[in-house]
Amino acid sequence: MDESVDADSPIAARGATWPQTLVGVGVLVTGLALAFGAIGISSEAGYGGVGPNFLPWLVSIVLTVCGAWIVWEARNGGFRDMDAPSGAVETYWSGFVWVSAGLLLNAALITTIGFIFSCMLCYLLAVQGLRRASGQGGVNSPRTWLVDAVTGVLISAPVFWMFTQFLAINLPGLTSTGWL
Amino acid sequence: MDIFNALMQGFAAAITPANLLWCLVGCALGTAVGVLPGIGPAVAVAMLLPITGKVDITASMIFFSGIYYGAMYGGSTTSILLNTPGETASMVTAMEGNKMAKSGRAGAALATAAIGSFVAGTIATVVVTLFAPFVAEFAVKLGPPEYFLLMLLAFTTVSAVLGKSTLRGMTALFIGLAVGCVGLDQISGQGRYVGNVPELLDGIEIVLVAVGLFAVAEVLYAVLFEGKVVEAQNTLSRVHMTKRDWKRSIPAWLRGTAIGTPFGCIPAGGTEIPTFLSYAMEKKLAKDKDAKAEFGTTGAIEGVAGPEAANNATVTAALIPLLTLGIPTSNTTAILLGAFQNYGIQPGPQLFTTSAALVWALIASLYIGNVMLLVLNLPMVGLWVKLLKIPKPQLYAGILIFATVGAYGMRQSAFDLFLLYAIGVLGVIMRRFDFPTAPVVVGMILGPLAEAQLRNAMSIGEGSAAVFFQRPMSIALIVVVLAVLILPRVAKAMALKKERAAYV
Repeated sequence: MDESVDADSPIAARGATWPQTLVGVGVLVTGLALAFGAIGISSEAGYGGVGPNFLPWLVSIVLTVCGAWIVWEARNGGFRDMDAPSGAVETYWSGFVWVSAGLLLNAALITTIGFIFSCMLCYLLAVQGLRRASGQGGVNSPRTWLVDAVTGVLISAPVFWMFTQFLAINLPGLTSTGWL
Repeated sequence: MDIFNALMQGFAAAITPANLLWCLVGCALGTAVGVLPGIGPAVAVAMLLPITGKVDITASMIFFSGIYYGAMYGGSTTSILLNTPGETASMVTAMEGNKMAKSGRAGAALATAAIGSFVAGTIATVVVTLFAPFVAEFAVKLGPPEYFLLMLLAFTTVSAVLGKSTLRGMTALFIGLAVGCVGLDQISGQGRYVGNVPELLDGIEIVLVAVGLFAVAEVLYAVLFEGKVVEAQNTLSRVHMTKRDWKRSIPAWLRGTAIGTPFGCIPAGGTEIPTFLSYAMEKKLAKDKDAKAEFGTTGAIEGVAGPEAANNATVTAALIPLLTLGIPTSNTTAILLGAFQNYGIQPGPQLFTTSAALVWALIASLYIGNVMLLVLNLPMVGLWVKLLKIPKPQLYAGILIFATVGAYGMRQSAFDLFLLYAIGVLGVIMRRFDFPTAPVVVGMILGPLAEAQLRNAMSIGEGSAAVFFQRPMSIALIVVVLAVLILPRVAKAMALKKERAAYV
């Protein structure tokens, strides 16, 4: 652990200043990227003296400074005035992968297999991840999978019908009937 | 008398069977999302924003305000029974309310919270009715420099004053402003940060940011860090207040309302300060020995009644800056502003003249909604509590389906669903590292408006920033902005000095 770390700070005490530094670097890089993007924006200001590129420049400069400052805080005793985050110290990555897979597959497939099945799939994968995260037994049993799949359809189908039939809002279907 | 007539017309519009039904559904849905962990009013309204494409504006505004209101009632139920406040607004209620519930007085705590919310909500609605038209009349006189400074004030308080760390608050605000920059510049029509992605030309939808930051992030956070967290639920006792409870609650409700209302009126936002102030006041004012001893031990009813009233009064009065100035001061009001914008209406002083019928119907629906919520919450509390029995994995996975509807329904673009995931991941990082999220939403919605006002103001001043120092109102606003920035720091430094002196 960094010698200058304040041992009273809950995060610092766990030796977790690297993640904080990474967050700072992320902000810093975002600021620089926004500045790079701002170069291409016109400065045509008309009467006002403030053109379309003013806010992008302001935002990129402030974010760059904030990023640098966050990195400095992280390396010098950790974030100030920070509550210990809720939940466990350890990160349960495999659950995260399940939920992420659900969300990303949903995004990729929604226009092909339709809202109901795509959301059912998202539900099925997400609930697996969440069940595993809470340490439930029997997550691999076919019965659990079946029950979850049915539950997923029971939630997504009425939602689909409410939006397409009642509110006339377009959601992608497997067929063009508005029912599936 | 004009106000009275206008309000009566508002009632006439709000009381149609269809609108009453929207109000009821909104209140019920709001209570449900308030009770359920992992989903709050901001995200519920955001997910339902796609309906603005089809439903008429009066109906949808009545519906959304029902959700906004209902969530406050529902939120206190959860914080009393579970001690997991869904949002900062019910944090203080959780402190005493949960203690009361633990010592077997959950029913009394729930009753004082619900009735207190009703009393405060109704009084604050009267204040909105009486004062909003005057504020609007006054606000017509404000020019772009003053508007810009008012928005600057909202930015300052939401990022630098309310959070724990100014640095992290500022970072969050500027991330919101950056998101607001994406798309076509509204004055010159030039694309900013759109790259070669045509979807970005229209900018990033507020639904995406709100649903991503709150709902998706909540689910991802739960699976990453909170899988093993087990919540103990207090048992519900009969919802009933004794004569002594009433005697102790009534003054606390009124004091809470008196504290909360002015905080809602100013474009500074946040329910934390008024609720904490009310709690501190009740604790200090507790005269009789029993009541004093109950604070922090078995739970004092004043400690629930006061903050709950302050909370509802603030939330209701926050409609004044939203409707008259177009300045949102919380996540939910920011999204309500987004809802108005979807209809091509910009809330502001003109709203009271151009859309008078809408505004008054909305205000009338607040009175109706308050009564509905009292009925929905007091006798039916047992029903709402049943919602807490839904197991977390199924609940959270289900939330993702609703998130998909909100995000996809707005623009029918699968690209938005990928963006939603990315924003969710950003939300997890922000939550883990204690970055506030309200500044992102407020910055994103208010940023483009503030930029337009700044550029208009600068055009009036022909390119000179002196325009901000030439009118008394704008100078006063600059002083206020500086004061909110400097005074808390001075006070903190002085307190520290005093503490050190006492220590030595």
